Amino acid sequence: MMKIIGAIFIIVATTWTGFEASRHLSERPRQLRLLKSALQSLEAEIMYGHTPLHEAARRLSTQLAKPISWFFESFAKKLTESDTTVKDAWESSLKEIWKLTAFKQSEYEIMKQFGETLGRHDRLSQQKHILLTLSHLEREEMEARDRQSKYEKMVKSLGFLSGLLLIILLL
Amino acid sequence: MGLEVDIIFKIAGVGIVVAFLHTILDQVGKKEYAQWVTLFGFIYILFMVANIVDDLFQKIKSVFLFQG
Repeated sequence: MMKIIGAIFIIVATTWTGFEASRHLSERPRQLRLLKSALQSLEAEIMYGHTPLHEAARRLSTQLAKPISWFFESFAKKLTESDTTVKDAWESSLKEIWKLTAFKQSEYEIMKQFGETLGRHDRLSQQKHILLTLSHLEREEMEARDRQSKYEKMVKSLGFLSGLLLIILLL
Repeated sequence: MGLEVDIIFKIAGVGIVVAFLHTILDQVGKKEYAQWVTLFGFIYILFMVANIVDDLFQKIKSVFLFQG
């Protein structure tokens, strides 16, 4: 009886690990898409709305879905409440939010680079920087989607099967 | 005798699961991992079988050489 309970525990744990890993894999393209639409709205706010940056960030935080909206929320808060530079506020809110997203190091570098250009140029070159960042993110998204289609199924069944193997070995 | 049947089922289980793992890893193009998994499964079963065969030899020895 104890054996069966232990076996169930093992299989549940490994299967759950597999599903969690596959969720992480499918979450990354979704969040990248969100980030892209965020940057596109930011471009629209800057180019056509002539909105100040903290205002634009606050609007974005209400428009977008969860992990990205937290980022813009903390960014807007930092811009209004403390007197840091845009670059520092961007970077520190990026760092704050990073653990809660499914992003990788390469996206972090892209966003950090973008933060360095933010608010330092006129509108036209700002738009160019946004487009550059968008094209970088596009590439990352393609890569993430590739990984997702390749590994999502594998990770799921790998979790379950490794649990099964462990049970048989321990039996 | 009951114990031996148990071991046969265990070997069969390991074989099935390792075969599945091999196929899945093969499909996503991780051939080297697939081969490692199969190799380790094989070694594990080999050790198990070696124990049983050792028992058999001990028994034969005790029957024919009249020891213990």
